[in-house]
Amino acid sequence: MMVGATLELSRDVPVVGVKTTSGRGFTPEELAELCSDKIVFVADTAPQEIRDQARAFKVQVQKVVQLYLQQAVRSDRTTVYNALTEAGHPQLAELIRRL
Amino acid sequence: MAFTGNYMATSFKQQILEAVHDFRLTGGDTFKLALYTNSASFTAATTAYTTSDEVSASGSYSAGGGTLTRIDPTTSGTTAFTDFADLTFTSATITARGALIYNSTPTHTYTNPAVVVLDFGSDKTSTAGDFTIVFPVADASNALIRIA
Repeated sequence: MMVGATLELSRDVPVVGVKTTSGRGFTPEELAELCSDKIVFVADTAPQEIRDQARAFKVQVQKVVQLYLQQAVRSDRTTVYNALTEAGHPQLAELIRRL
Repeated sequence: MAFTGNYMATSFKQQILEAVHDFRLTGGDTFKLALYTNSASFTAATTAYTTSDEVSASGSYSAGGGTLTRIDPTTSGTTAFTDFADLTFTSATITARGALIYNSTPTHTYTNPAVVVLDFGSDKTSTAGDFTIVFPVADASNALIRIA
């Protein structure tokens, strides 16, 4: 009896994705989409009803993640604002606050 | 030369049988991802990290690439698998066609042994921005490294 194990990659189809930006970082919307792709994944071969439910759930997850990422950005700016103000850079702090 | 597809390094397969690589989240080895231009010529015969044709340092990218966050190896059915978290280089101006994942702290005497060659399919460019490598979902059907 043969016992086998395979350890191979698809040669021709990219197995990782690449996302890039120019002149800015990723937005909460873009990151929320990446995040929801990791949290909710449904195979194209799954039954239609399950796919529909999973995709609807994924939309909701994306909305919630986006909301909290936006809040995280705001909160971090508050922290940076305070740090710059306390370091004697009120104009720079104000610039950060207005981003 | 140019990238010609994705490859699991043949030397990596041998090294698995020699217990060279430890992918565990806690106490495992340090795996890194280095980016390359399309002048690089990697195949399954690639055995180790090289600086040849590596992209230039920019933003948070420096020679040798970035350290990957491991996902603990696990199983589903009869398939064992492991993967990595997405990796982002920030404030970077980079054009890369592919990447090499290698082990920078292996057991035994190997130096920076290769794990996987990744072909992005086309040049990817960030300009004073973020460059993110998105790894596949960590499951038995999609994870980067699967033994079935």
